[in-house]
Amino acid sequence: MTHPTFVAQLDAYLDGELAAPDAGELEAHLRVCAECARVEQGRRRLSASLRAQLPRYQAPDILRARVRALVRGEASSMARRRSVPWRVLSVAASLMVVAVGSWQLALTRAGGDALADQVLASHVRSLMPGHLADVPSSDQHTVKPWFNGKLDFSPPVYDFAGRGFPLLGGRLDYVGGEPVAALVYGRRQHMINVFLWPAGRGPSTARAGEFTRQGYHVLHWTTPEYKYWVASDLGLPELRDFVRLVQQGDSAASAAPPAR
Amino acid sequence: MESSELERFEAVVLPHLDAAYTLARYLTRDADDAQDIVQEASLRAFRYFAGFRGSEPGEGRAWLLAIVRNTARTWHDRNRHHAEATEFDEKLHSAGIADDHPEASVVRKSESEALREAIDRLPLEFREVIVLRELEGLSYKEISEVAGVPVGTVMSRLSRARRRLEEALCLTMEDG
Repeated sequence: MTHPTFVAQLDAYLDGELAAPDAGELEAHLRVCAECARVEQGRRRLSASLRAQLPRYQAPDILRARVRALVRGEASSMARRRSVPWRVLSVAASLMVVAVGSWQLALTRAGGDALADQVLASHVRSLMPGHLADVPSSDQHTVKPWFNGKLDFSPPVYDFAGRGFPLLGGRLDYVGGEPVAALVYGRRQHMINVFLWPAGRGPSTARAGEFTRQGYHVLHWTTPEYKYWVASDLGLPELRDFVRLVQQGDSAASAAPPAR
Repeated sequence: MESSELERFEAVVLPHLDAAYTLARYLTRDADDAQDIVQEASLRAFRYFAGFRGSEPGEGRAWLLAIVRNTARTWHDRNRHHAEATEFDEKLHSAGIADDHPEASVVRKSESEALREAIDRLPLEFREVIVLRELEGLSYKEISEVAGVPVGTVMSRLSRARRRLEEALCLTMEDG
């Protein structure tokens, strides 16, 4: 082999990609050729610096959350496209329920399910880039006034950062065709959307309950003042902890004399 | 898609999101664009996932990186005019600084900044092989699959990319 061949093979050699016989020949050449040896040293230094000094980036939590949400949303819509016979069966099942006379039960459940689907759709949509918050802020005194003039009610906004559920912001959203307040809270890389509107109106009522769809949980409850829906891919126990915090915040607020 | 397929995806592909994001950061040189790329690539990966048969962790990584790389390529073609304008600006900008402040290089850039800058100035096809080899530790064969070029091309691109980096870094040092 000639000198130019060795130079051409030097990178492959250093990357451990040169076959053994060629590597042996190259090593012999390196012992006698000062120029190749100098290039080799330079390359080793360069690789060491690159590996030690170029930053490796960590995917931000918000990106992880969005990717998970997108993928789960996609899985969910793929499943829906494939499961038409299932839906026929479930319609048949509800018809039977109606036939035995449980009108109210069937309607309430259907209403709750449909609302849970809408809430989940809004949650997933909010995770698309740029959709999470119209007012991105961890300050409840920035988020709450932002709704003035956009809604005819002023939603209670809390900051549970001290309990591991920081406020991330708020936005105007639509559920069942009605404008509602959406508040965004975080938990590690998970996002929690809280949808609420006054108890007396908005999309028709469903009983308090928990719904699970493709790894998302949707929780619903009502207070004398508001109807609440919460959606997240957070684990159910932690999500229930979060709901308890909101409920405690609400009951503390209604026990105290009206603020402002 | 069955939920077991979703679980398999989350176990085999999602652990490599840091690697995907790092590659996207170097290819786009922008944190927000990199997020968009990774998001789009992940969704594409999930749609093609049924056709992915690998089970080794390394296979999932190379497979995801290939999709990130292709997504970034498409993005790059779409933003070509903008990207070229930026590169042009950078050259003008740095030349201006050197002329105005001959002693500016006395305030020596840290070695890692100089490296970073040298990487950012590499043409895309050189930048990608350097990141895949030096940061991700991919083999030539894996790089050839990710970049969609023969192994021989990987070898010569790496060699040329390193020569360029050495030249760029020597220049900064000699300037001082």
